[in-house]
Amino acid sequence: MMNKTMKMVFWIVLLLILVFYPRLFGIYYTNLFVSFAVFAVFAVSLNMLLGYTGLLSFGHAMFFGTGGYATALALKHIQGMTVLPAVGIGFLAAMILALVLCPLVVRVSGTAFAMLHLAFGQLMYVLALKFRNITGGEDGIGNFPIPDLNFFGVISIGMKGNPVNFYYLAMVILGVSLWLMWFLTKTPFGQIQTGIRDNAKRIDYLGYKVPQTKAVVYVISGAFAGIAGSVYGLFHNLVSADGSLGILVSFVPITAVMVGGMGSFFGPIWGTAIFQIIEEIVLRFTDRVELVMGLMLILIIMFAPRGFTGLVNTLKMKWQAYAAVRSGMEKKT
Amino acid sequence: MDPTTAMYISQGIHGITYGMILFLIASGLNIIFGMMGILNLAHASFFMLSGYFCHQVLVLTGNFWIALIVAPLFTALFGILLERVCLSRISAFGHLGELILTVGVAQVILALVKIFWGTENIPISVPPVFAGMVSIGGLVYPVYRLFVIGMALGVLAFMLLLLYKTRVGKIVRAAVSDRDMVNALGINIPLVFMIIFGVGTWLAGVAGVAIAPILTVFPGLADQVGMDAFIVVVTGGFGSLTGAFIVSIIFGLLSSFGVQFFSQLAPVLIVGFMAVVLIIRPNGLFGVEE
Repeated sequence: MMNKTMKMVFWIVLLLILVFYPRLFGIYYTNLFVSFAVFAVFAVSLNMLLGYTGLLSFGHAMFFGTGGYATALALKHIQGMTVLPAVGIGFLAAMILALVLCPLVVRVSGTAFAMLHLAFGQLMYVLALKFRNITGGEDGIGNFPIPDLNFFGVISIGMKGNPVNFYYLAMVILGVSLWLMWFLTKTPFGQIQTGIRDNAKRIDYLGYKVPQTKAVVYVISGAFAGIAGSVYGLFHNLVSADGSLGILVSFVPITAVMVGGMGSFFGPIWGTAIFQIIEEIVLRFTDRVELVMGLMLILIIMFAPRGFTGLVNTLKMKWQAYAAVRSGMEKKT
Repeated sequence: MDPTTAMYISQGIHGITYGMILFLIASGLNIIFGMMGILNLAHASFFMLSGYFCHQVLVLTGNFWIALIVAPLFTALFGILLERVCLSRISAFGHLGELILTVGVAQVILALVKIFWGTENIPISVPPVFAGMVSIGGLVYPVYRLFVIGMALGVLAFMLLLLYKTRVGKIVRAAVSDRDMVNALGINIPLVFMIIFGVGTWLAGVAGVAIAPILTVFPGLADQVGMDAFIVVVTGGFGSLTGAFIVSIIFGLLSSFGVQFFSQLAPVLIVGFMAVVLIIRPNGLFGVEE
């Protein structure tokens, strides 16, 4: 397949495109791309649970929202807070939430796991709506200050009202997150994860600790969802219960994983991209985004149940079979 | 009767009415899940759709009773259509696909409802027979809510008779415990599935018509009531009608008394109750271990 130089060239080209993206496509598409990247990281973090460990969560938005709220609250209330520590606080807050929950949730799997998350997700959502004095209720926390990116007082890069600079910051944070998650799936620990999905009992017999492994994956997944939420909050300069904690927010990554293809690392990213592109095109023609998205979802599940990567693999196999048959025929004649 | 007692009793009946509605929706969801393993997230959308059908029939005929018969039947028809056209074809690819598909269906129904009937609240008038108030020992209460309770109990009795006294019920109960075996015994499981899905959506439809005069019909209805019904099923335990019944009543009372005493925090009570139950029993109050 691809050899090492090809891979290097691919990554360098990708990096160049990312660096020059705002210059090439203008501000509108830059913002669109940031939004895509946020949800890609969110979807990949869910896929760590769903695709790699086989745990379906209906409440992943609680980590997303917790990250967002923590960042927003930190920037609003702590004097002299800068951007990176604020994102770090979002990451830590989601991580702590996951740490608190993991002793409860790692005991169960399957439907019970999904339902428990539905419960906690809804609890967080309702709490965010009702504790008005902290979270701002339905309005959420908006217009909090976004300080400049500051490296030890030497360099200062303006963030507020400067989408291009924010694009680079978001790309670095989200890119590093993606790379870390990708790296994790390649480690022996990642293999145990897949093992738990395929046969938890066997992994147990082999002497690995199943609940503890699940807990670690859970915390990592939650923490990265927190980063995504934190960047999302900074990007919109607004964190709200419906926008970051609602049940629909939990379904966004699940559908992205399903559409892109479960169990492959890049599947959820494809899924997010497909949805963004479709939404973008649909919005040009009609306001009925729901209708088109719903129909798309139905059609995708019915005709490509293994998602986009599954579809590509099937086509590839068909093409290889076709090519093999053809080369065989050529040899005969 | 002094006002405080009257308040308690009327809030109690309010709660039971809402609990009954929740039970009608939750029982449909529960039967479908218990038997087919499908988590139908479009269930509440069918409930809402039935409310709109009720409105449409009322516009055409002006008779609530016709609406009460016809609207749930149409809803069930759509449910059967969904089962036949979509769900039965993708069952080979696991339950997650079915779940996401029903999310898509819910979105489509929401969009279509907005296209056909707009986004405004549509008031449905209470049928004239039940429009008045009744006085029970000095407590004045709207008759219609009492009728809803009675109707829900009637449907419950009908369902229990169907499940435990008829051959169809026997097949359904057998299929819940071992679907493949029942299939091997020569019973047409796909047909049974279709009927079950139809009955489940019919129940949602009945609930939709029953609640229409109380809450009015609007596109957010599915989210508002559907989430509660879903929480009921989760807390009561999947596949358990008893659990759904008990939890429906508890939730109805929790929400009506919660609004009375804590106003803002009533939803927190419900969700908190669910979280506590699930922490202690991850499969719900009456759920069975997987």
